[in-house]
Amino acid sequence: LAFVLRSLSSCRVLVVGAGGIGCELLKNLVLTGFKKIEVIDLDTIDVSNLNRQFLFQKKHVGKSKAQVAKESVLRFCPSANITAYHDSIMNPDYNVEFFRNFQLVMNALDNRAARNHVNRMCLAADIPLIESGTAGYLGQVTVIKKGQTECYECQPKPTQKTFPGCTIRNTPSEPIHCIVWAKYLYNQLFGEEDADQEVSPDTADPEAAWNPADAAARATASNKDGDIKRVSTKEWARSTGYDPVKLFNKLFKDDIMYLLTMDKLWKKRKAPLPLDWTEIHHLGACGTGLKDQQVLGVQGYAQLFHRSVETLRSQLIEKGEGAELVWDKDDPPAMDFVTAAANLRMNVFSMNMKSRFDVKSMAGNIIPAIATTNAVIAGLIVLEALKTLNSEFDQCRTIFLNKQPNPRKKLLVPCALDPPNPSCYVCASKPEVTVKLNVHKTIVQALQDKILKEKFGMVAPDVQIEDGKGTILISSEEGETEANNNKFLSDFGIRNGSRLQVDDFLQDYTLLVNLIHSEELEKDVEFEVVGDAPDKAPTPSVPEEGKNIANGNKDSAQPSTSSKAAEDDDVLIVDSDEEPSSSTMEASPESSNRKRKHHGTDTDDAASKRKRLDQQPADDDEDIIALD
Amino acid sequence: PVERKKQSNIISEEEAAQYDRQIRLWGLDAQKRLRGSRVLLVGLRGLGAEVAKNLILAGVKGLTLLDHEQVTEESRRAQFLIPVDADGQNQAQASLERAQLLNPMVEVKADTDAVGSKPDDFFFQFDAVCLTRCSKDLMVRVDQLCASRNIKVFCGDVFGYHGYMFSDLGQEHHYVEEKPKVVKGSNEANDGPEAKKPKVDPNETTMVKKTVSFCSFKAALEVDWTNEKAKNNLKRIPVDYFLLQVLLKFRTDKGRDPQPDSFAEDSQLLLQIRDDVLETMGLSSELLPNTFVSYCFSEMAPVCAVVGGVLGQELVKALSQRDAPHRNFFFFDGLKGSGVVDYFGSK
Repeated sequence: LAFVLRSLSSCRVLVVGAGGIGCELLKNLVLTGFKKIEVIDLDTIDVSNLNRQFLFQKKHVGKSKAQVAKESVLRFCPSANITAYHDSIMNPDYNVEFFRNFQLVMNALDNRAARNHVNRMCLAADIPLIESGTAGYLGQVTVIKKGQTECYECQPKPTQKTFPGCTIRNTPSEPIHCIVWAKYLYNQLFGEEDADQEVSPDTADPEAAWNPADAAARATASNKDGDIKRVSTKEWARSTGYDPVKLFNKLFKDDIMYLLTMDKLWKKRKAPLPLDWTEIHHLGACGTGLKDQQVLGVQGYAQLFHRSVETLRSQLIEKGEGAELVWDKDDPPAMDFVTAAANLRMNVFSMNMKSRFDVKSMAGNIIPAIATTNAVIAGLIVLEALKTLNSEFDQCRTIFLNKQPNPRKKLLVPCALDPPNPSCYVCASKPEVTVKLNVHKTIVQALQDKILKEKFGMVAPDVQIEDGKGTILISSEEGETEANNNKFLSDFGIRNGSRLQVDDFLQDYTLLVNLIHSEELEKDVEFEVVGDAPDKAPTPSVPEEGKNIANGNKDSAQPSTSSKAAEDDDVLIVDSDEEPSSSTMEASPESSNRKRKHHGTDTDDAASKRKRLDQQPADDDEDIIALD
Repeated sequence: PVERKKQSNIISEEEAAQYDRQIRLWGLDAQKRLRGSRVLLVGLRGLGAEVAKNLILAGVKGLTLLDHEQVTEESRRAQFLIPVDADGQNQAQASLERAQLLNPMVEVKADTDAVGSKPDDFFFQFDAVCLTRCSKDLMVRVDQLCASRNIKVFCGDVFGYHGYMFSDLGQEHHYVEEKPKVVKGSNEANDGPEAKKPKVDPNETTMVKKTVSFCSFKAALEVDWTNEKAKNNLKRIPVDYFLLQVLLKFRTDKGRDPQPDSFAEDSQLLLQIRDDVLETMGLSSELLPNTFVSYCFSEMAPVCAVVGGVLGQELVKALSQRDAPHRNFFFFDGLKGSGVVDYFGSK
């Protein structure tokens, strides 16, 4: 032990993330004797971090997490040599050479995209990686070593359950459907309009048709999105001057009445009850709890709707011509709007309404977090780190932290590490995948963004068609293949059986993609990865948490605004943090409006960065071999 | 302490913002109870500092840091609250400033007395007491004193790679658990003869009240192993329980814990004590193989973090009266990464 501790001072380690786990980890590393530590985090400090990220105080709100963490640690260990980066780990500056500087990398992240990326970088550099995550009372730590253990992507992680468009637009049955609808509505009215985020009744709903021929006819007759009006929601709103009462009546009365005409939908379901602005008379509730935790009545939410529409309308006017707002859970009128609209819709569909507090949890993908869980996990990370640095990989374990002891009395459950998956599409020697899609309907942009980046975790893909000519379909160099973006794959001669060679040079990763052409994909499904677990497979529920608080993106892929909801699934827990405020691309650290620096793959709602995975039921499960 | 914690019903905006992520986990009610709780923490070395941090961040009303020892280079390096120039100062005093900065909303105090010198009624002002680095006799005394007054008692220590936590929440500890609601029949939003049942929100939950009892520390350590039933169960007993007995005896005999500086003589003594202790219990020395001596010297920081995290959370649970407490020991083995909860004592 003494020998290990002495040589620790010369070890260089990288900590990715300076949040909940990161703060605890930095403290543990330094107290254990590590001296050369580099820490990177793109985020800035928020007041809601202060219940657990103990290296930060109130006076630090708004400052860089990595920077302040470094300063706080130096205060109790001035001899530590810490380098802080206020930056995204996905920045190409942090290439394989950068990673090779370290003897060990430890993740303290909260989203899958970054985890996938660091996984690949560590494989490319052949540096051991310690992965971890927490959510609420639960946590997990594991060790990843190329060639010896599974990599982070060896086991396909379940992607998020998605709600079909017609559930969101026609037949919501749970509050989350209404909340997703409300967020779509925000974007349609005030933000960036998205064809995947329609809010009006869907006439092409297959359930609405009395016979299949009818459905087909409707589908081809109407617009692609089945919108009942030819004008977009935003255009319509503009034409009324964003009149809150007119908006209210359209959304909660007229559109609902239209839905009622689709009577087949209501044969086995309770029919929605339209609201009329002039008829609402109930008073709101009062209480002694947090104001946010009260559930207002319909009148209260109607008023809130009215107020927030007016405020957002002013915000739009202020920003000028062609302005678009970005939804942010910490922007009060934006949160008010979603709270109000979601609740009004819940009321229409006879669901119990939710407080702003609860709506914020769901809409903002907030995962509850406490100091102690992070403290335990960070302690375990360092213990695994010591074994790893001694190359004692046979001693390394995956360790699960439960909320309650399992039947064998274990609160902390160590499990043997698995060997690499020979068919892993990341760490196998010549990885290949097969993707099913419609070559006549998939455009190059979608291939790049939704398949290669979101699904397969690449950051800057280069794509060549194996057509004997080496045709370049996508180049990671900006602008080079922009002309291809809106063309269909079939335009390039791609058809059933075509193969694509995809490279991400930053990640030192090559993937061969086999394409299967299909015209029979389900509605709303753009592609399928052959051999993947089906998205809709039921997943084991989390035993510990009584309340299904968790939602939104537990997955790398889609922005939280899309029709996704969380299911408590298995696999790695993430120290989840909610959507950061405000939006998108590369913000410079100096920009006061931006909370964090972003990397290019992010899409609208900033929420895309917030990916979290669900929790492993940490009892001895079929998949886990617990050690005694 | 007060029979019932006074609950201020108003939670300020500042508290709501700061505690948001934990209120979303354990609820507002639990947070209010925490906010009314006063805790005594004895011992500010590695483990103590971790517990202090966890309780202060959680938002208790008051935390008293009690430690009569002076800061040495070794003790300063073991924790993150003491400034680098504080050698020679009292440990609790030196930790105070940084501890307070963790959360200005908590009243943090330092007390430089030795806990053994405190009169009985000193303890009665607290809702919970957490003892680290205390002798067995002291822990037994304080536990006896407090548990009968519904003061929650916790003990914990870290010895090298090993650590433990013990709790005595009294004869009748009441708490609530949140369970998913089972809804029968239609909910009130239904109306009309043709109305179909709307889908029940699977997220709705209900609070269930429970009660559990704990035994004293004395009873927990004086389990009789000579009867047949106990002997048969031995295989399932964490060895750490016996390791704890050995280390507590060492502490009593030597007035300190095993130190790396005296590794040779301390190791010898540990093996001797192991033989004595197990023999007195009527058990074989093989139960605790010799290798244990290599791994129980000094406090390892990551082990303090793990044990301090579990101990801190148990304090939070007990004070907030929410969620089933671990009953009554938690043992952590940092070599294996295993953490076990087990009950010792009169059932």
